[in-house]
Amino acid sequence: MNYAIETIGLTHYYSKGTPHQVAAISDVNLRINKGELVGIIGHTGSGKSTLISHFNGLLKPDSGKVLVDGVDIHKDKETLRNTRFKVGLCFQYPEYQLFEETVYKDIAFGPKNMKLSDAEIKERVIRAADFVGVKREHLNQSPFDLSGGEKRRVAIAGVMSMEPEILIFDEPAAGLDPKGRKDLIKLIADYRKQTGSTVIVVSHSMEDIASMADRVVVVNDSSIAMQGTVDEVYSRGEELRAMGLNVPEITEIFAKLRAKGFDVPANVYTVDQGAEIIRSLSKGRCAE
Amino acid sequence: MIRDITIGQYYPGKSLLHKVDPRMKLILTFAIIIVIFLCKNFFSLGVIAVTAVVASALSKVPAKMILKSLKPIVIILIFTAILNVFYTQGGATWFEWKFIKITEKGVFTAIFTMVRIISLVLISSLLTYTTTPTMLTDALERVLSPLKVFKIKVHTLAMMMTLALRFIPTLIEEIDRIMNAQKARGADLETGGLIERAKALVPIFVPLMVSSFRRAYELAFAMTCRCYTGGEGRTRMKQMKLSLLDFFALFACIAITAGIIVLNHFFTAVI
Repeated sequence: MNYAIETIGLTHYYSKGTPHQVAAISDVNLRINKGELVGIIGHTGSGKSTLISHFNGLLKPDSGKVLVDGVDIHKDKETLRNTRFKVGLCFQYPEYQLFEETVYKDIAFGPKNMKLSDAEIKERVIRAADFVGVKREHLNQSPFDLSGGEKRRVAIAGVMSMEPEILIFDEPAAGLDPKGRKDLIKLIADYRKQTGSTVIVVSHSMEDIASMADRVVVVNDSSIAMQGTVDEVYSRGEELRAMGLNVPEITEIFAKLRAKGFDVPANVYTVDQGAEIIRSLSKGRCAE
Repeated sequence: MIRDITIGQYYPGKSLLHKVDPRMKLILTFAIIIVIFLCKNFFSLGVIAVTAVVASALSKVPAKMILKSLKPIVIILIFTAILNVFYTQGGATWFEWKFIKITEKGVFTAIFTMVRIISLVLISSLLTYTTTPTMLTDALERVLSPLKVFKIKVHTLAMMMTLALRFIPTLIEEIDRIMNAQKARGADLETGGLIERAKALVPIFVPLMVSSFRRAYELAFAMTCRCYTGGEGRTRMKQMKLSLLDFFALFACIAITAGIIVLNHFFTAVI
């Protein structure tokens, strides 16, 4: 079976051919399995956004290859164009890309570019809107009249309506309040569960990634520094800190509790997990 | 890539030309440009051409960059030269074939016009090479400040120019981002006829407008929070002071102008 996305020796320079030339990413070899939910974490400027812009062919590698489902996406124009629909990319602050008169038309923009039939477009728009929780009565409103959180949902629906096999989110929860954040993470996890698609989430929030990812890839200094399961990666706190990344606060708290002699696990990465453990502990104490 | 576009063409440096007060530079450049059009013969034009070359050397801007500023006018140069050669008639005939007739006067006029245009572009681009856009608008504000008498809000205009310059790179970055986002949704910006291409720009420009207005509001709000109320009573962080160098530059320009008037008087005019 082919990998959903495979990169071979992927390298990209900025300001190529000038004295300011810098490698944004260099010699990245990454394999993403079908149906996997991969979290990519890295410090600002580590090259993670550059990396994902290669996955749907927005950027062309200076050397190396990107294979989607075993096919080189830069093989010819046709393949490149189809890759745009196969690999959905949802940028940071996607609400700034809304432009249509109505929410419906904006969500339909992608499917329309795919040259689908009107009936098919309608079906997809409704499906995507329902999934992200955009109310039916909002479909005929201007997207600019909606609240910030609703705009983001519409924009995400705009990418989901293309029904890509691989969906990539760049900092999906940036700028949202804690509740919006939680809802969105749940939305992404549900999407994966329902459609079985491959999902890649780029974030610098270690906690967000911990709560949903099957596998974590750490990008540092324009190449892949580590990869593995959440437990494997997050247990290397010292190395992560050296890369300017912090393990989640809740993990720190549990580490301190352990240092004080409490018998609590070390692999606690989300507040929910932590709360669960504390609750069960206090129950135990009450029983005594 | 769209983000490689540079705004203005300031070349950082510490040459004499960089050190001249921007106000003085602005006025003198303007004066010299007028003087270029006063030149009537090759001798006075020669003075200007030498001035342009010497000033370019003084600026210490690499010759390659200076020549680059001439690139956009190559077509204009060729075009005016051809027009002059064929349409200005007079003096000895050098070449004649059917309806084509090239005369002495035609060739001289063509060369004269070309040198004039090249000097013009060289001198005016030296101003932008040695002065940052912000310094330039600042200088413009002060040079134009007497217009206050006519109730023209010079400060507001200058502030608008400064802000516009400041936001050009930001907007370019924004366009880049929106283009990528729409491309990711399958927007086709490269193919199709004129109408289709114009239509393809809608998904780029609507979000760009929206975010520009958002930025404008935010900026206005931030400026208000910092008690910005316009030009009245504002002091400046960077004070401009005329130095000896500025008077020297002024003197040089007066000498050049005087020389040109004298040369115009003593030699016959080409045009």
